Amino acid sequence: MSAVAAPTAPATPAVGEPGRAVTAHLVRELRRGTLVVAALLALLPPVVVVQYRETVGGELGAGALQVLATNPAIRTLFGPAVALDDPGGFTVWRTGLMTTVLVAVWALLSTVRVTRGEEDAGRWALLRAGTLPARSLLLRVAAVALAAQAVVGAALAAGLLVVGTEPAGALLHGAGTALTGAAFVMLGLACAQVLPDRRSAAGAGGAVLAVAFMARMVADGSEPFGWLRWLSPFGVLGQVRPYAADDPVPLLVLAGMALLPAVLAFVAVERRDVGAGLVRVPDERAPRTALLGSSTGFAVRRGARGWAAWTAGVAAYYLLVGLLTVSLTGFLGDNPQFASAAAEAGFTGMGSAEGYLAAVFALLAVPGGLFAASRIAADAADESAGRHVLLLSLPVSRRAQLAGHAAVLALGCTLLAALAGTAAWAGARIAGSGLGVAAGVGGALNTVPVMLVSLGAAVLAFGVLPRAVLAVGAVPAAGGFLLLVFSDTFGWPPAVRALSPYAHVAAVPVEAHDGAGAVGLLIVALLLTAAGVAAHGRRDVRA
Amino acid sequence: MPTIDPALPAVEAEGLSKRYGRTLAVDRLDLRIEPGEVFGFLGPNGAGKSTTLRMLLGLARPTAGRARVFGDPAEDVRAAHRHLAHVPADVALWPNLTGAEALELLANLGPGTDLGYRDELVERFDLRLDKPCRAYSTGNRQKVALVAAFATRAPLLVLDEPTSGLDPLMGREFQRCVVEAAARGQAVLLSSHVLAEVEAVCDRVGILRAGRLVQVAGLAELRRLRRHEFHLSFAGPVPAGLAAVPGVADVEVLGEGRVVLTLAGEPAPLLRAVAGDDVVQLSVREPSLEEIFLGYYGEAAR
Ligand SMILES: Nc1ncnc2c1ncn2[C@@H]1O[C@H](COP(=O)(O)OP(=O)(O)OP(=O)(O)O)[C@@H](O)[C@H]1O
Ligand SMILES: [Mg+2]
Repeated sequence: MSAVAAPTAPATPAVGEPGRAVTAHLVRELRRGTLVVAALLALLPPVVVVQYRETVGGELGAGALQVLATNPAIRTLFGPAVALDDPGGFTVWRTGLMTTVLVAVWALLSTVRVTRGEEDAGRWALLRAGTLPARSLLLRVAAVALAAQAVVGAALAAGLLVVGTEPAGALLHGAGTALTGAAFVMLGLACAQVLPDRRSAAGAGGAVLAVAFMARMVADGSEPFGWLRWLSPFGVLGQVRPYAADDPVPLLVLAGMALLPAVLAFVAVERRDVGAGLVRVPDERAPRTALLGSSTGFAVRRGARGWAAWTAGVAAYYLLVGLLTVSLTGFLGDNPQFASAAAEAGFTGMGSAEGYLAAVFALLAVPGGLFAASRIAADAADESAGRHVLLLSLPVSRRAQLAGHAAVLALGCTLLAALAGTAAWAGARIAGSGLGVAAGVGGALNTVPVMLVSLGAAVLAFGVLPRAVLAVGAVPAAGGFLLLVFSDTFGWPPAVRALSPYAHVAAVPVEAHDGAGAVGLLIVALLLTAAGVAAHGRRDVRA
Repeated sequence: MPTIDPALPAVEAEGLSKRYGRTLAVDRLDLRIEPGEVFGFLGPNGAGKSTTLRMLLGLARPTAGRARVFGDPAEDVRAAHRHLAHVPADVALWPNLTGAEALELLANLGPGTDLGYRDELVERFDLRLDKPCRAYSTGNRQKVALVAAFATRAPLLVLDEPTSGLDPLMGREFQRCVVEAAARGQAVLLSSHVLAEVEAVCDRVGILRAGRLVQVAGLAELRRLRRHEFHLSFAGPVPAGLAAVPGVADVEVLGEGRVVLTLAGEPAPLLRAVAGDDVVQLSVREPSLEEIFLGYYGEAAR
C-alpha cells in the first residue's frame, strides 16, 4: 500500500508559472502572522478609543492629561502627546509606539524567516532551481511582505474609522504604521542578503531596530537631541502627529528610509551565492571545546551569543534611561499637579528618579521574557530540523536536557536583569543622581519572576504545542504587559488585571518588594516548566 | 561500556506498533536481534523502517507493544542508550560547531568512545574536522555521525540508511567498519536500500512492507526460499502437464522443445516428471538477491 501511496500535492511550482507558484507559497508563509497582527491592530486601538470616551475623557479631563503628557519621563515611554483631547489622538499616543514596534519586529523577523530562514533550510535552492532569477524571487518576497504591511495598516485605519475617529488621522496613522513596517521589511531583506545565516541576519536587523527605538527615546526625552528622531523610522513616524498636525510629509521620509535597504538588498542578491551572504564566515577554524562536556553546558554554549546580544541591547537601553533620569525628573518637583495626574493614569512617583525607573523597569520583563521564549523556540526549531536527534540518541534523558536548558535560561534572565539594573544605576550615577546600586539592581531583579513565567509558558508550549513556542512564550511577558497597561488606564476589573503577571510585582524601587507576589509567580513558572518538561519527555520527537 | 548479560538480546520488540492518524506505520512487529549479529532492515520507501528504529531509540512512542535494548526498555533512554549509538537517516549537525567539536560533544556525552579508533576512522573516512558543520556536504555530515557511532564501544549500532550520501569508496569503507564492529562483538541494525551492502555485511535480514515484517531470514535461507529458474531443452516436444507439477509456475515454452519455468521448493517432483523425456540440456539459475528483494518489494504494490 505504502509503496504506491497516493501522490501528494507537488511542492515545487508547476512548469510554466513558477513565479505565481512562488508568490502563492510566500502568501501561505506570511498569511497567519499577518492575520494575527492585523487583528490585534484592528481591535486594540478601537478598544482604547471607546474606553477613552467612557472614562478618561470625563474623569481625568483633558487638561490633566496634557500636564501628564508633557512629563518628559512619560514622553520617553509613549512619545510626545499632541492631541490628547481627541479620542484618536489619545489612542495614538497611548498605543502608537507599542503597535509600531510590534509591526516592526514582526516585519523584520518574518521577512528574514521567509528569505534567509528558508535558505538555511535548503528550500530556497529549491525555489531558485525553478526558472526564477534571484532578483525576481526577491522582488516577489518584497511585494508579498509589503502587501502584508498594507493589510496591517489598513486594518489599523479601519478599526479607528469604525469607532468614528477623524478619517485623516486614522488613515495617516495606518499609512505611517504600514510604512514603518515596510522599512523593516526592507531592512530584513537587506540583512538576509548580506549576512550568512538567519541568526545573524535577525540579530543585525534587531540591533538596528533597537538603536532606532532608542534614538527616538532620546529625541523625545531630551530636546538638544531632537534631531535624532529624523534618523529613526519610529521618530519620523511620530512627526506625522495624527489627529493634530496630520502631516503627510514625514511619510515620504519613511518611504525613503525603506528605499535605502531595498537598494542594498537588490544589489547584494546578485553578488552572492545561494546559502551564503555577502559577509562570508571563515570556513575553517581550530576547535573550541569549552562547554561541550554536558548537555547543560552545551545549552549554555548554544545560547551564549544570543544572550550577549539581548543583554547588550537591554543594558544599553537602561544605561540611557539612567542617563536621562535626572534631566527628566529634575524639573518635575516644581509641578505638584503631575503627581496626582500621573497617579490617576497609573504612573506613581513619576516625579522622582526611583519612580521613573520603577516604571521603566516594568518594561524589562518584556525583552527578558522574549529572550527566554526565543531560546526555547530555537530548541523547537533545532528539533524539527533534526539537529536534536544525535543529542537525543545519547544516554541523557530528554527531561534532563530540557530541565537543564530551562535552568540555564532562568539564570540567564537573572543575569540579564542584574546587568540592566547595573547599567541603569551606572547611567544615573554618571548623570549625578543619588540612586543607590541596590535600588537599581533590585528594581531590575524584581521583574525576573515575570520573565520566568514566560519561560515556563514557552517550555509548556514546547511540550504540547511545539509549533507555537514563541507565540505562547510571549503571552505572559508581552501580552501581560499590554493587559496591565489597559487595565490601569481604563480601570478594568481587578480580576482581569490580576491575570497579568505584572499585577503581582511591586513598582520597585519606589515601592517595597512584593514578596508574596514574587513567590506566587515563581510557583506558577515552576508548575508551567514542570508540566512542559513532563509533556516533552512523553511526546514523539518531531522530524 | 556497561556490563551486560550476554543472554539478553540486543534488540527485542514485541507487538511494536505505531499509528500516525490513519497510517499504520508499523504493525505488530516482533523482532529479536542477538548480540554481535548484523541485521539488515529492508523495505520499500515508507515501509516503516525509520519509524521502527525511532521507537527503538525512544524518539517515538509506540502506539502498542514494547521494545527493549539489552533488556532495558526503549523509553528509558538513560539506561537503553548506554548500549547503543545511532546514525539517523538525515544527519543534521549544529551549524556553528566544527566537525571536531561535534565529535567531542558526542564522545563526552556518549556511551564511551575509543579515541584512538576515532582518530583512525577520521583518517579512513577522509574527514576534514576543522570546518563548521554548516559548510559540510551531506556525505560529510553523515561521515561525522558514522565516525562518532563506530568509535563508540556500544554493543549495538542503530544505523538508518547510513550510506545514502556516501561515495562508493566511502561505502566500501563503511562495510569494512561494519565487519570490524561485528568482529568486536557489536550488534548492528542496518536499514538500507543498498542491497549489495546488505548482502556483503548482514547475517540476517528482515523485510518490512507496509509496516509488517513479511520475512526474517538468513541470506542463504532467503535464497533457498525463493524460486529458481529452470531452463530445459528436450530432443522432442515439450512434455505437457509441466505446469501441474507441484512447485512449478510461470511455464513458458520458447519453441522447438525449449522451456523456461520457475520452481519453488524441492526439485524432485519436477525431475521425476521429465525423467521419461529426452532432456538434452538443463540449467538452473539462482535468483540474485536483488531479484529476491524486488520480489518482496513488488508484492507491496499488489
Ligand atoms: N511524524 C510522522 N507523521 C505522520 N506520518 C509519519 C510520520 N513519520 C512517518 N510517517 C509515515 O509512516 C510511514 C513509515 O515511514 P518511515 O519513515 O518509517 O518509512 P521508511 O521505511 O523509513 O521509508 P524510507 O525508506 O523512505 O526511509 C510512512 O507512510 C510515513 O508517511
Ligand atoms: Mg527511513
